[in-house]
Amino acid sequence: MIILDANRLEQAMQRFAGIVGEENVWRGEEAAHGYKDAFAPRDALSYAPRGAVAPASVEEVQAIVRVAGELGIPLWPTSRGKNFGYGGGAPRMREVVMLDLIRMNRILEVNVEMGYAVVEPGVGFDDLYHYLVDNDIPLWISAPAHTWGSVLGNALERGVGYTPYGEHASKVCGMEVVTGTGELLRTGMGALEGARTWQLFPYGFGPSWDGAFMQSNFGIATKMGIWLMPEPEHTLNLAMAFDRVEDLPLGVDALRPLKLDGTVQANPSFGNIIRNLAVRAPRSAYYQGSGPIPADVLEQARVDSGVGHWNFSIRLFGDKAVNQINAEKVKRAFAHLPYEFEVSEWHRGEPLRGSGSPTPTLGALGVVDWLGGPGGHLTFSPVSPFSGAEAWEQYTTIRGMYEDAGFDYYGGFTAGQRYLNHISMVVFNRNDEEMCARANTLFSDLIETAASKGWGEYRTHTLFYDEVARTYDYNNGALRRWNETVKDAVDPHGIIAPGKMGIWPRAYREGQS
Amino acid sequence: MRAFAIAALPVLAFAAALPLAQRAQAQAGKSGQELFAERCAACHVEGGFGTRVLSRRVPEGQAELEKRETLPAALTIAVVRRGIGSMPQIREAELSDADLQAIANYLEKRL
Ligand SMILES: Cc1cc2nc3c(=O)[nH]c(=O)nc-3n(C[C@H](O)[C@H](O)[C@H](O)COP(=O)(O)OP(=O)(O)OC[C@H]3O[C@@H](n4cnc5c(N)ncnc54)[C@H](O)[C@@H]3O)c2cc1C
Ligand code: HEC
Repeated sequence: MIILDANRLEQAMQRFAGIVGEENVWRGEEAAHGYKDAFAPRDALSYAPRGAVAPASVEEVQAIVRVAGELGIPLWPTSRGKNFGYGGGAPRMREVVMLDLIRMNRILEVNVEMGYAVVEPGVGFDDLYHYLVDNDIPLWISAPAHTWGSVLGNALERGVGYTPYGEHASKVCGMEVVTGTGELLRTGMGALEGARTWQLFPYGFGPSWDGAFMQSNFGIATKMGIWLMPEPEHTLNLAMAFDRVEDLPLGVDALRPLKLDGTVQANPSFGNIIRNLAVRAPRSAYYQGSGPIPADVLEQARVDSGVGHWNFSIRLFGDKAVNQINAEKVKRAFAHLPYEFEVSEWHRGEPLRGSGSPTPTLGALGVVDWLGGPGGHLTFSPVSPFSGAEAWEQYTTIRGMYEDAGFDYYGGFTAGQRYLNHISMVVFNRNDEEMCARANTLFSDLIETAASKGWGEYRTHTLFYDEVARTYDYNNGALRRWNETVKDAVDPHGIIAPGKMGIWPRAYREGQS
Repeated sequence: MRAFAIAALPVLAFAAALPLAQRAQAQAGKSGQELFAERCAACHVEGGFGTRVLSRRVPEGQAELEKRETLPAALTIAVVRRGIGSMPQIREAELSDADLQAIANYLEKRL
C-alpha cells in the first residue's frame, strides 16, 4: 500500500478541478460515501476512495491521466459503479482517486443495418434500452439480471446476459482507450485512421487487444462498440422446475448437446430455490431459526411457493417455424426427466415484457434483503465444465461449505457453450460483525478449495482480487508475471487501478515485498 | 461505416448523435415527480424492493414513498447520498444536487 500524501492529493484535486470544474471533484467524506461498497463485508470506508473526479470528455480523461502521472496519484476508473456483489463502485483500496466516467453518457452511434452501437462508459442498460425502444429501432440489448449498470463496464467485466448475445465480452467489437500516459488508442480496425470496419471486424491486424483491456488495469476505456441482436420475429420459452435437488446433473447433461450444436443460443440458468424465494420475501417468512434452512423446511417452502429446487427456462429466439422445430428437439432431449415444460410464446409487436428482451428492472437486487438486516453480499463465481457430474461435485462442495459456515446456499449455473458459470452469493447482515467475519472466511475458503479442485473464478470482489489471482499459479505464476511486465510497460507511473485483478504496478510490488 | 449509416438512415443517425448528457442538463426542467419516476420508482413503487423492505418498518399503507405522510427533504437527501440499510447510495455525478433536491421537495410536500 502506498499512502497518498495529503498535500500532493490536494494539489492533484485542484488541478483536476481546473480540468473538469470544481463541481465535478469530490473530496473526503463526500467521495468516500459516494463510492463506498454499499454491500461491504467489512468497514466500507476502509476501502472507499480519498477523492473522485468525473470528466465529461475523452480530452478531460487524458488531461486527468497526465496530471495523475505527473503527481503519482492512482486513479480507479468506474463507469456506472453498479458492480454489486463484486464491490459496487468501490476500488481495491482507499489510496486512490475515483475516475468516474458516468458523465460520459452518449450513445455515439447505433447502426441498424449492421446491428451495433458505440457507447461511452456512462451509458446504462436502461439508457440504451429506452433509446432503441423510443426510436423504434429493431435491435435488442442483452443485459444482466438488473439494468442499472453500464453497457461498457459490464462487458469489460465479462458480464453475462440472457439472450443469444449474452456472453457480452464476445460481442465487443472495437474499443477506444486512454493509456497510462494519457495517449489515445483505438483497438482492432479502429487503429486505421478512417476505418470503415471498426465495429464489424473484431480482430484487426496483429495482436488483438480488446480482451487485454477487459478485467484489466492496462488502460481506461472511453468508447466501445457492442453488437446488438436483431429483434427476432418470435421467441418461445420452455420453463421447467425440478422437484428434486439431485436432478441438476440430468438437466445439465440434457442441455449440453443443445448448446454445443447451437439449437439453444441463449444462456439458460439453473437457479436454485433460494434464488427464487429471495426476491419474494425475507427468509423469516419461511424459517425463523439460525443457521442454514433445514432440508425439510426448505422442501415445505418449495411446495408452498410452487417453485422447484432448480428452476430454469430455455428460450428460443428466431423465426417461429424454426423455434417450433427446435422446441420439439429440446423437449425430446428432456423427455427422460419426470417433468413437463411450461411453454409460452412471444410474437413481434407484442409488449416486450416476457419476450426475452431485457426490460428495465432492479428487482433482482432485492436478494440482499434475504436476512432482513442491512444487507450485504459477496458473489462467488467459479466456472464449471458443462457436465452434470462435474456441476454436481461443484454444487455439493460449495453448498456444503456455505452450510457448514451457517449460510444458505443461494446460487445457480448459467450455461455458456462449453462451460457453466456457477454464481453463488454469500448474503449477510452488515450490522452483524460475527456474521461478516464468517462470510469473509467462507469466501477465502471457497477460493482455496475451488482452486485445489481445479476450478477458477471468472470474476471476483475487489477485496479478493489478490487471493483469486494467486490461484492462477501455473508455472510459478507465469501469467501473473506476464501481466506485471505488461503493466509496467504500458502504465509506467503505475496509476491505473493498482491491484485490479491482483495486478500491481512495480512500486507497489516493491513496497509490498 | 458511419457515413453509410447516415446515408441509409438520416433521422436515426442524427438522433443517435444526440448526447444523453444534454438530456441530463435539461433535467433541471423536469419536475421532482418525473425525476422520482425515473430514478427511484423502480424500487419505490408497489412491488418494488424498497417498498417491500419499508413495509416492515413504516406505518401501514405508507411503504411507498409517495404515500408517506411526512418525509422531510433533509432525510431523503441524507439517505440517497449515504445509502440506508439495503439501499445503496447514489452519488452526485449520477444524480445532481439540484435533481435530488427536487425529488426530496416533491416527496416532502408532494408538490
Ligand atoms: C442480484 C444481482 C444480480 C446480478 N446479475 C448479474 C448478471 O446477470 N450478469 C452480470 O454480468 N452481472 C450481474 N450482477 C453483477 C453486477 O451488478 C453487474 O455486472 C453490473 O452491470 C456491473 O456494474 P457496472 O456495469 O456499473 O460496471 P462498473 O461498476 O462501472 O465497472 C465494473 C468494473 O470494471 C472496471 N471498469 C469500469 N469502467 C471502466 C473503464 N471505462 N475502463 C477501465 N476499467 C473500467 C472497474 O474496475 C469497475 O470496478 C448482479 C449483481 C447482483 C447483486
Ligand atoms: C435499488 C433499489 C432502490 C433505489 C433505486 C432507491 N431506493 Fe430508496 N430504499 C431502498 C430500500 C431497500 C430502502 C429500505 C432500506 C432499509 O431500511 O433497509 C430504501 C429506503 C429509502 C428511504 C428511507 C425511508 C425511511 O423512512 O427510512 C428513502 C427516503 C429513500 N429510500 C429514498 C429514495 C430516493 C429519493 C431514491 C431515488 C433517488 C431511491 N430511494 C432509490 C431501495 C432503493
